[in-house]
Amino acid sequence: METTRRDFVKLSLTTAAIAASGFAARELLQIQQTQPVGEIAVPLICGMCAGTCGLLFVRRGDSMYILPNLKHPQPGQCARPSSALQLWDHPLRLKKPLKRAGKRGEGKFQEVDWDAALNEIAAKLREIAERYGPESVVITAHDVHRWFLPVFLTALGSPNLVGHDSTCHYPGTVARMAVFAGGPPPSIDPDYENARYIMFIGRNLNAAMGTVRKLAQAREHGVKIVAVDPRAPNIAYSNVEWVPITPGTDAAFVLSMIHVIISENLYDVSFVKRYTNAPFLIKPDGTPLTEKDLGREGAAHLVYDNAAKQLAPHDKAQDPSLDFEGEVETPQGLVKVRTVFKLLAERAAKYPPEVAEKITGIPAATIVRLARELAIQRGVIEDQWFSAKNGSGDIDGYRAMLILNALLGNIDKRGGLCFKEPARLPTALAAVEAMTGQKLPSPKTRRVDLYKYPISFGHFDAVVDAILEEKPYPIKALFIVATTLFPREINLEKLKKALEKLELIVTIDILPQEHVDWSDYVLPDLMFLERNELAEVRWTLAPAIHISRKALDPPPGVNARHGLWALMEILRRAFPDKAALVGYTEKYADPHKYEEYEEAISNTMINLTAKTWGIKPEDLKTALERDGFYVFKPKTYEVRPYKTPLGTPSGKVEIYSLRFLALKLDPLPDWRQPSYKIPQAPDEFYLVGSKDINTSLHGVFVKNMQWLLDRAVWMNPADAARLGVKDGDLVELESLNNGYKGVARIKITNRVRQGVLFTYHTNGIRSALINHKDYEFIKEGVRSNWFSEHQLTPVLGELATNTSVKVRKL
Amino acid sequence: MTRLAHLWDQSRCVLCGACIASCNAANYRSSTRENETWGWMRSNIKRFTIETGPRPMLFLIQCQHCDKAPCVTVCPTGASYRDPTDGLVKINPNLCIGCKYCMVACPYEARWLDDETGLPRKCMAGECLSRVKAGLQPVCVEVCPAGARAFGDIDDPNSEISKRLARSRYIRLLEDKGTEPKYFVVV
Repeated sequence: METTRRDFVKLSLTTAAIAASGFAARELLQIQQTQPVGEIAVPLICGMCAGTCGLLFVRRGDSMYILPNLKHPQPGQCARPSSALQLWDHPLRLKKPLKRAGKRGEGKFQEVDWDAALNEIAAKLREIAERYGPESVVITAHDVHRWFLPVFLTALGSPNLVGHDSTCHYPGTVARMAVFAGGPPPSIDPDYENARYIMFIGRNLNAAMGTVRKLAQAREHGVKIVAVDPRAPNIAYSNVEWVPITPGTDAAFVLSMIHVIISENLYDVSFVKRYTNAPFLIKPDGTPLTEKDLGREGAAHLVYDNAAKQLAPHDKAQDPSLDFEGEVETPQGLVKVRTVFKLLAERAAKYPPEVAEKITGIPAATIVRLARELAIQRGVIEDQWFSAKNGSGDIDGYRAMLILNALLGNIDKRGGLCFKEPARLPTALAAVEAMTGQKLPSPKTRRVDLYKYPISFGHFDAVVDAILEEKPYPIKALFIVATTLFPREINLEKLKKALEKLELIVTIDILPQEHVDWSDYVLPDLMFLERNELAEVRWTLAPAIHISRKALDPPPGVNARHGLWALMEILRRAFPDKAALVGYTEKYADPHKYEEYEEAISNTMINLTAKTWGIKPEDLKTALERDGFYVFKPKTYEVRPYKTPLGTPSGKVEIYSLRFLALKLDPLPDWRQPSYKIPQAPDEFYLVGSKDINTSLHGVFVKNMQWLLDRAVWMNPADAARLGVKDGDLVELESLNNGYKGVARIKITNRVRQGVLFTYHTNGIRSALINHKDYEFIKEGVRSNWFSEHQLTPVLGELATNTSVKVRKL
Repeated sequence: MTRLAHLWDQSRCVLCGACIASCNAANYRSSTRENETWGWMRSNIKRFTIETGPRPMLFLIQCQHCDKAPCVTVCPTGASYRDPTDGLVKINPNLCIGCKYCMVACPYEARWLDDETGLPRKCMAGECLSRVKAGLQPVCVEVCPAGARAFGDIDDPNSEISKRLARSRYIRLLEDKGTEPKYFVVV
């Protein structure tokens, strides 16, 4: 595709031309005969999902629309930003601050002015923080605004930023942490453009679109793509082998491939010996043998060196044995040891292809073929993003995938699974501390969910428990910032009880999400076209940062203000001294003045980053304003774990997780049945809820999605024929788990496996404020989490939003 | 001669919908009004899926810019015409009387009725024509993240579209209708 060139008009001019012109864009749009004024392009970071792709807001003559920023390292786009102007002047947009006028959940409100809303919230916040401690205040958020929220919370004295993580990327993130000391996505990601063979297990490539572009480049050199999923994801329309799998059985499938690869000696022996802990010797109690066990100085992990025919520290062994099994002499006597590799082989041997076929529904011959293809092509299995949808046991599924990637030796290599190089953009909190010259005191308590789930990245279910039980400490106020609660969480009845018990609920958003009905105050926020932003470029392996520039003011009638300004004003009005700690004073009380506060923080972040990379801050700023992004360097391959040890306890790729061992968890992955009741009878089905390219929380509200998405329950044609169900029929679904009953329309499609029903997780959004005849479609359909009730697993806090139901034709 | 044509690569399209929605944004000012002809958004691209065959199958359908366009043949006023300078099939709204013969004649059902003006709509619409005139790509091609679209002159062997056609297996839709369509579907 030819890359078109366009001139960027300087930001100040652009803003003057569009935002400050006094025109609302929709008025501009309706001027039919305007002479073309040339092209204006404003850099944007897409705010429609966490993909945060690089975009341009374009104005040509009287047309305004959004295009991908094709020079950007991670350009857009999908239909969501294409529809962003429908979101901008959406008739359901929250227009004025609202104050609850009925019971929680009723959705009755009165309009209040900004000053009154902020003062009342501030007074309540002060009362709560003084009575119960600042840690009784929780913010839940998704990705929008998240960069700044720790500034507000730390100044207040609360550690409690608890997001959507547990029902989203958590299983993949824990697995990355265990095996590679990786973090949340995209800390590790496939090198898409150079991949030879790529397998997506339960991952719809719904974002980022830059990865779709890179995959398109890989298609030029003949990449093979495999999608293993109970329903065909969007990418399966393209040239992809779709392997329909029984829900909740990914771990068995991957362990079976590991079995094939080990039995057929298809793994990368030298990588596995050198860079993983596969040669470590494990004692009968499960702990690894170290020099200390032999009464020697040091704590190095020991392996059996085939060359020296004796035990040696892993890094000193010439030829670490993968299959040593025997007794070693210690001061305490003889101890039996076996290598990690042996233990892994034994674990995987529980799932020979014939056994895995019975569990996964994938023919044994297909499992063998896929394993061989993957190994021979030195392929890569995608490491996951949005993933908590299969059922409990996901963490082990992802650990198995990462271990299989390691067995192929395809780590941090071209076309393999690679470490993202961070842009080393400081956090907003670090920037504020650099500006004020003082370090903020740390909150006095740990984050509330960590008491229950010690390696959590954010478990809102634990916040719900803390609200209800007042343990480990009371939670009394909740700020819900640009996220959803009801489509996102599980155990919804418990969630409602907790919301009833809170003393203050404040929502900051642009649209009436379901939880708005439960809120005491609703504050209308700016959308991404209406504000500036600075962020690290995600979903690209090279270190890069990008900016978003305000392209439009809110449309007429929408008295929205920057959500972060609202938070800082609440803080200042409640605790002026605490706000002053982060440099926020009354001079920013005007929402436009707040932009100066944010700009000062952004400038500090840019300056510090420039210093880190040894470039001139003004050069970095110029490049950012000109291009919208800056790439610091290309990705350097083969660094970790080759030249730099990993951050795992052993410094190696941990096939056998020492973190898990310390937590008294199984150090090796295994498959377990999902926690919900497994469907047995002919009218019982798995109910899988997941994403599509266009199902993000704000995206589903726009009118285009009435037509691009359906809100039906998908059923395989063979199942439909058996039950006598026709396309468009209404059926009753009854949960096999919590007894919930719901009515849904059936869509008959070959995109879902037999025995499985599929539905989007963003269906059926019900708020009293969704009250426009053209937008009734938003309320249609059912979601799997209504039919799911789940006790989270101890320690890890695994949960399932998938479930099982009985179907009755109406 | 210049003959501008669209290429859509079925083997690459991931149905993200960017082309469909961007057509709406650029050409129809992000209108939320329904395209009642198609039961769809106001966009010149529609989706057609086969949900019961052996595997999921997708087609994106839009004006095929036929060299022998039935819509041009049946138009009583000359409002629908094939522009000899670029090979595109266009509508002159000043001549159109809204008789809808063209809509019925099109075997691809690529036209829809704009209930605001009473006139037919189709690819390409105003903003894309303006972009092409300015040497830019049509919006659907510019936005596509999957490399599934190309646009250009098939009479120029060095154009991107010609090069892609030269190395691809492709079909044209309903070729037996004799319309000589210029919408190439790479399979």
